Order: sequence, then C-alpha cells, then structure tokens
Amino acid sequence: MRDITDSALSTYLAKRFPDWRDIAISNLERLPLGASRETFRFDLAYTDEAGAHQDKLILRRDPPASNVDSDRRHEYLSYQAIYGHGVPVPRMILLEEDASHFDGAISLAEDLRGFHNSEYQLQEPAWKDRLPRVSQQMWSTMGKLAAVPCEALDLSFMVPATPENTAMQQLDYWEGQLDANDVGPEPVTRAAIRWLRANPPTPAQKLAMVHGDFRAGNFLYDDEGTLIAVLDWEMAHLGDPLEDLAWSMARVFSFGKDERRSGLAPREEAIAIWENASGLRADPDRLHWWELMMCVKGQAIWNSCAHAWGAVETPFVIHAYAAWWLRNAQDRAILELMGKL
Amino acid sequence: MKPAIPDATQFLATVLRDDIMPQLTGFRAGNVGMAAAMLDMVAEQWDGAAARLHAENKVLRALVARCAIHFGQTPPLTPDEEDLRISSLTRENEVLKTHLIDLHAAIEADDSAVAGALNSEIWDFLRSSVESQRISSANF
Repeated sequence: MRDITDSALSTYLAKRFPDWRDIAISNLERLPLGASRETFRFDLAYTDEAGAHQDKLILRRDPPASNVDSDRRHEYLSYQAIYGHGVPVPRMILLEEDASHFDGAISLAEDLRGFHNSEYQLQEPAWKDRLPRVSQQMWSTMGKLAAVPCEALDLSFMVPATPENTAMQQLDYWEGQLDANDVGPEPVTRAAIRWLRANPPTPAQKLAMVHGDFRAGNFLYDDEGTLIAVLDWEMAHLGDPLEDLAWSMARVFSFGKDERRSGLAPREEAIAIWENASGLRADPDRLHWWELMMCVKGQAIWNSCAHAWGAVETPFVIHAYAAWWLRNAQDRAILELMGKL
Repeated sequence: MKPAIPDATQFLATVLRDDIMPQLTGFRAGNVGMAAAMLDMVAEQWDGAAARLHAENKVLRALVARCAIHFGQTPPLTPDEEDLRISSLTRENEVLKTHLIDLHAAIEADDSAVAGALNSEIWDFLRSSVESQRISSANF
C-alpha cells in the first residue's frame, strides 16, 4: 500500500473540494490504534469563500486484509447514526469509498485531542482513585446506548435483526468468520459453539444499536475520568444490548489481571451501573450465553488476526501480537464459563 | 546456540522496551512495544515448546484412538516419532485436534456411560492443553 503523505492528502482534497485554496497538511502521524484499520491524525488548513479554516482531523483507511470484516462506509454511517443521541462520538466529516485515491477507502472525522484512550494507563497507580468514575462513565454510557430506541436512528444500512433471531444471527456470523479465517483447529471454541446452539437464549428484551467493541481502550477520557467519546464503531450492528455488556465482561480485556472487568470494576458493580442506565435487566442466564458467545467472537477475531498476518505483503505487528497473546487466554475464558477450568 | 535463546530474546525485549521505545511515539512506539512483548513470549515458550507438543501429542493420540474405537473407526496413523521439529509436531497436533473436534461432537450426542467417561477425558485433556500454554503476560 502506498504511504499516506501530506502531498497525497493535499492533492486529494484539492480535487474533492475545488473551491478550497491554500490547502496545507501538517503534523501527519500514524496512531497506534486498533488492529483492524490504519488510523492517522493531521492538521488541515485551507481557505474558501467563508474565510480561513483550521481543523484537526482523524483519517482511517481500510487495509487490504483485516481481522474484522467491516468497511469504511459501515463505520462512518454508524458514527453518523448515533451522533446527537446521547452517546458522545466524534463528528464524521468525509467518506471516500473510491479505493484508488489511497489504496483503500478512507474516512475523515474530527480529532478530539488532549484526551486519553489507553486501557493500560488506567492500571497505573495514579489512576486508581479515578477508576470508580471511569467505570461509572463507561457502563452508564453503554447503558444509555442500550436505551436509545432503534426507531430513532437511521440504521437502514445494517443487517436487519429481530429480538428472536439476533443471538443465532451473531453465532452464525462469527462461526462463519472462524471458518473463513481458519488457522488451525479450535476444539475448545468448537465445543462452546455446540453448547451455544444447544442452549439458545430467550429473545432479547429489546433491539438496540450494539457498538460491538465497547471496552476500555475504545473510548476517550479526560484527566478526571470523564468519558469524552466512544470510538471504533466498525462492528456496530442491530442486536441484543446484552451483547455489549457481555463483551465488556470478557476476561481477555481484564487489563488489571484480576477480577475487575475491563480492568475497572468488579463484575456485579459493572452490571448494576449498566442496568441502572439502560433500564434493562441483565438476566444472568442470558448474560452467560452472551459472555460465552463473545468468547467465540473474540476467538474468531484473534484467528482472523493470525490469518491476516499471512494474507498481506506487509503485515501489521499487532496481528501477530494479538494472535499470540489472546488465543490461549480466550480458551481459558471459555473453559471458565463452561465450568471446565 | 549461545547465549541461550530465552536469555537473548528476553534481553532484546528489555532493550526494545526500555531503550528504544521511549525514543519513539505513536504507531512506531506501539509496534516496538508489541515486538518486545512477543520476544518475551518467545523467551517463555521456546525451551519447552517441542517437549510440550511431543508429550501432548502422545496423550492426544491415545485419546483420539479411544474415541475412534468407541465408534468403530480406525484410529489415525502414528506419525514419524523421530521428527521433533516444532513445525512437524504442530502439524501432527492440528491433525489430531481436528479429529478430536469431530469425535467430541459425536461423544456429546452419545448417552452411553462410556461416552460420558470419554467426554470427561476430553475436557481434562483440553484443560490440560490450555493450561500448559498459558502466557504469563496474558490477562487471564
């Protein structure tokens, strides 16, 4: 893939916006965010009929091979759909689906600078006293997302789902991803899939816009621990709101290596915050089903990381790292949830 | 090889993490941090990898054979015991685990006492296999 450069961006923007003059790109930097997409930040200056403008922007580019089967359009429209509905997200600015400009589709969004997103920083002693606030912010925002009526959002670009079919729809999809990105047999995960099929959950309490990767590391927070914006909506879909809660409970994301989920709060505390904010009940049996389901999803993604490593000329380090670091821990989490550890 | 591979890779990980990474920012710093973590994993797994796979394959081969015989099937062929390359042992491990997945599904659908005992054996094996591959830096 060709490099994203100042001149490539300037040339593209000049063509895309013929009335812009004096376009200047500066401080272009690739960010260490995510395993599925390339993320860059840069400063843009230009002049048009309204005068001189200066913007701070985020550019995301679809790679030739990814560990997540999504695209720029889907994430862009997901951000647009939830923007202004009580869940803070950055404003989307531009979608370019013609891959010829940058060897992959790109999107531009406002860059909310001066905040943190590191899940590891939250484990530093200096942050210990602020973790209750971060926890409250994270799971209450997740609860607010669960409470947003789907009818209020334009989700027409998403795969339709019903409260009755969403569980098996997700299981079918992620089993398909595991099959499509096979890097070796997964006897623990396959046993989990059989159990999930044999013990389907009751229908979802409601349909919601599910973020799909809501955990520490995927939101911006300030120095006080206030959540500023939820990021990484590329796996957003219509589904059971318990799915986001279950994903955030995952052992592989327990960055404190203890009982705190997402490295932030004990399981029961996190569930209570989510229930209070969503107005929904996290039925223990249904939550257990979704937690195991999220293990299957996780294992499918880590396998996809290993598969993506071998599928491109210049692989991402994070693909190999994630596969090495997470596949066995994911199996342990499955064993625990199935009472076999 | 001298110095020993675990010692050398662990040292290289420390150099990357403590000397190189602080001089970088953003994407490059992230890559170097992950590379250091991967070297730590190599250092941890290297020495015991072949022995672990060889021992696991022996147990797994016997387990798969017992399950296959229960269903009147022919057990998988015994591989070349002299080939101790990790790639060969891994290939053998994957062939056996592929068999195990199919046999485990069949065992679960079988109500007999023998199948119940084999099911317990399979879970014991899976737990043992997973525990033997634990990475100390993993979150769980």
